[in-house]
Amino acid sequence: MEDAELARAIAGSAPAIDAAAEGEFCRRFAPRVRLYGLRHLRDRHAAADLVQQVLMMTLERLRAGKLREPERLASFVLGTCRMVCMDQRRGAARRADLLEEWVIPEEAVEDAEPRVFERDRLAACLEVLSERERSVVISSFFEESISELGLSGGNVRVIRHRALGKLRTCMESA
Amino acid sequence: MSAELATLVDYWFGDLPPEREAAFEEHLFGCAECTGKLQELVALGAAVRNAWRAGAVRAVISPALYEAMKKEGLRLREYPVLPGGSVNCTIAASDDFVVSRLSAPLAGVRRLDLVTDAERFEDVPFDAAAGEVLMCPAPAPLKRRGAFTHRVRLVAVEDAGERLLGEYTFEHAPS
Repeated sequence: MEDAELARAIAGSAPAIDAAAEGEFCRRFAPRVRLYGLRHLRDRHAAADLVQQVLMMTLERLRAGKLREPERLASFVLGTCRMVCMDQRRGAARRADLLEEWVIPEEAVEDAEPRVFERDRLAACLEVLSERERSVVISSFFEESISELGLSGGNVRVIRHRALGKLRTCMESA
Repeated sequence: MSAELATLVDYWFGDLPPEREAAFEEHLFGCAECTGKLQELVALGAAVRNAWRAGAVRAVISPALYEAMKKEGLRLREYPVLPGGSVNCTIAASDDFVVSRLSAPLAGVRRLDLVTDAERFEDVPFDAAAGEVLMCPAPAPLKRRGAFTHRVRLVAVEDAGERLLGEYTFEHAPS
């Protein structure tokens, strides 16, 4: 089902609830909102809160038939993410109101099981990297912002690309 | 690395210019396949972080990573060593990492190799201003080892040849 059809199905069922369409909406957009939250908030719990809040706000809008361009559903969800992240204070108050009205089941917004990388294999693949590449990869994912050993930002970026390419190839060849 | 994966990596680490980032996010929100690829990158990152925390990996680290590890509450046992120095060392079950702080005159050095009795690690990262190299052996295998002597040399590689900056001896005993 395309995004626009999904939006119309939810709006067209109001005041009744199209559970199947709303479930599909949550499954489709929860991972995208979570990634947005992780990218911009760098906090797993804050990202989980963002998922709940953005999905609730969007569903509220859809049920009320207030999404003018259903084919732009993805853009609307993204815009809501940006708005909520920019206005945490207002978002927190709004969220409290919404939480009283709406309950989105956890299973609807949980990601599918993330891919599991076997640790010994990953350690062996990290060992294959050059010293600089290994240092940059570990720092990148541990610190989430890098200030690496006298390297310029451009150099770090180049080394990171090369290292992650090698790491991916090594893991896939396992 | 494919251009698409490179863009995902740049996006994740904040390396895209603002206007490209905004456009890429618009694309990402409408692209299930890209979302899946970004999820995989994030999962790989979590696996790297967990492997590092679990002590499965060795690395020469930056002062910034060292500070981040301390801030996260990881227990670091440290051994500062001067050139020509020797240190009795161990790792306890409660230690998360051992950090060997190898002091060396690094000003002007362009390439630094770390040489042990068994291996040569070329072009290790270093911060010349700090005047030391932070070496983290993988803690998990270290905890399983008996007593041994580990010798490390730091060698500057220059156009004119190689220059020994320091030799360091670690007398390891199990905890």
